[in-house]
Amino acid sequence: MVKTLVFGQVREDIIEENTLGVLNKLTEISGISEVIVALFGHQIKDEWISELGKHGASRVVSVKAPELEVYLSRPYVKAMLEVIEKTEPKLVIAAGTVYGEDLIPRLAVHHGVSCAQRINDITIVGDELHFHTPVRDDQAMKVTRIEGAIKFATSRSGAFFVNENPTGGSPNVESFDVSFSEEDMLVKHIEIKKAERTVNLKDAKVIVAGGRGVGGKEQFQIIRELAEILGGEIGATRACTDVHWIEETYEIGQTGQSVSPDIYIAAGISGAPQHVSGIKAKTLIAINTDEGAAIFNFADYGIVGDLHVILPILKQKLQG
Amino acid sequence: MKIIVFIEQIVSTQVKLKGVDYFDSSRVSEDDLVINPSSKNALEGALKLKDQLGAEVTAVCVRGLKPNKALREAIAMGCTDAIEIADETIYTDDPLLLAKIYVETLGQIGEFDLVFLGVEEQSTGSYAIGAMLSEKLGLPSVLYAEEIEVIDSGYKVGHVLEGGRKIVAMPSKGVISCSDSQYFTPRYTSMRGILTAKRAEIPKWTAADLGLSSSVVGKEAASLIEVSFSNIVLEKESYIIKEGEPEEKVENLLAKLKEDEIKLGA
Ligand SMILES: Cc1cc2nc3c(=O)[nH]c(=O)nc-3n(C[C@H](O)[C@H](O)[C@H](O)COP(=O)(O)OP(=O)(O)OC[C@H]3O[C@@H](n4cnc5c(N)ncnc54)[C@H](O)[C@@H]3O)c2cc1C
Repeated sequence: MVKTLVFGQVREDIIEENTLGVLNKLTEISGISEVIVALFGHQIKDEWISELGKHGASRVVSVKAPELEVYLSRPYVKAMLEVIEKTEPKLVIAAGTVYGEDLIPRLAVHHGVSCAQRINDITIVGDELHFHTPVRDDQAMKVTRIEGAIKFATSRSGAFFVNENPTGGSPNVESFDVSFSEEDMLVKHIEIKKAERTVNLKDAKVIVAGGRGVGGKEQFQIIRELAEILGGEIGATRACTDVHWIEETYEIGQTGQSVSPDIYIAAGISGAPQHVSGIKAKTLIAINTDEGAAIFNFADYGIVGDLHVILPILKQKLQG
Repeated sequence: MKIIVFIEQIVSTQVKLKGVDYFDSSRVSEDDLVINPSSKNALEGALKLKDQLGAEVTAVCVRGLKPNKALREAIAMGCTDAIEIADETIYTDDPLLLAKIYVETLGQIGEFDLVFLGVEEQSTGSYAIGAMLSEKLGLPSVLYAEEIEVIDSGYKVGHVLEGGRKIVAMPSKGVISCSDSQYFTPRYTSMRGILTAKRAEIPKWTAADLGLSSSVVGKEAASLIEVSFSNIVLEKESYIIKEGEPEEKVENLLAKLKEDEIKLGA
């Protein structure tokens, strides 16, 4: 039986949803015996603990310290190593967020082993854990196992569903202290520049999204026009919000919004895993000049061509 | 000031090899090999600091079928020099082994201030090397950087974060992995750079030169072990229109959507 320790992540004052997804996945695997969650912060809220319990955590181990208010590699590695020592898990897993992907490989190094990042499945074969990682734009699947007493892994963002009606109970809670030195705080937090979320794309039925291939701020006009004709919303990649071609609120993906429209039109978007992980569309249509672009592997329909030629024609045909 | 950039050479994603074939080296030619775009972001990060602070930038390539080609391009972009690590016994699919090799390489190089890497690894897909390397070195690090500003105490670095961007301050010695933000948009090679690259002598180090035996960096030392590697079979084929005039392509798409009873509007 596999005792498992999950890195509990909180975002915007609630348990981050990929972490809940990991918990739900673990409850589905019969060989997982106990699910422990490590929770760090300056404050630990009761709501977080009960939410974790509902989603399958049987035990929550928390460490409270001002140094743990915001994720920083060193203090978090230190605290997590102590939790590992106390709880003796066989599997240590985190949701594949920026923080999760930073933490897990470091913990693995301290235990002298490698780790499996961005998995979308775990299976138990005999008494071995197998980690499934899609590679090459989801064209191939690599299954790996890890040597060593403790296995370390992160899930891929968006890989596991969050159970809407979780039935778990209240977990046992314990907490302990970890002390930090100046050496642990060499990297200093300055600020988090939160992207303004003024438009909610979650319920949009149609999204016309543009990527770096759009080419500029003014050129985004055709994306807006097409979205308007289709009665939908616009979307964009981080490459576009990074350069302020379009407001940050329209970023879709791991670090932007998650969307599940009926129709998603991706124009001038290469199909980076961090972007596509935020899209669960019934129908995805891609327009890209590069026939080899990854987005075509995720698309149901596509046109190889220049979006500035294709989209105006599409617009005209839809209007006419 | 000295900056080391670890780069990776990959098979261009333009090469039309599907699934596992993409990783089969017998199917690719030298022309198909390029610097991983993500490694180019790392080169740009180092070269920006070189422009600003006058650093020496050394590119190192361990992974690739013809590392020498990638390293010449790195010099053509503006790197001061380059080192090729080539040894058939080295197993590069395990990020921990790779991090070990990087640590030994840095030990052999001697003094350095910053280490730059790209965030994406096409070959291992592990996304773990930056974190593992900094942990093994015991150096501070910022992963998924999007911008760097020089400050008195070191660097102010913005990095990717769910829901926005996080800004941290790090000391002047450490590890940075670079995303493909505008700040790290790679520069082109210059004519002068290409000439310098042609003439450059690129030393070639083996595992033995780094004091590493195959029992330490070979496949038998790996802790991440491949159980299987196979193509994912898709339930349905995608309908991608490649041929025809633009107008025909759009008509073709609309006709197919109609046939499949898919309504475009909300
Ligand atoms: C930790 C992390 C989290 C991230 N989170 C996100 C996220 O949430 N969302 C997100 O989007 N990104 C995210 N990113 C960034 C992501 O990795 C990619 O860099 C980004 O998605 C690329 O955007 P793009 O497809 O617009 O640009 P590119 O990758 O540059 O692709 C542009 C595409 O446009 C095509 N093109 C060019 N001209 C034309 C034309 N005229 N007509 C048609 N096609 C054309 C090109 O062939 C190319 O395929 C994240 C990165 C990291 C490291």
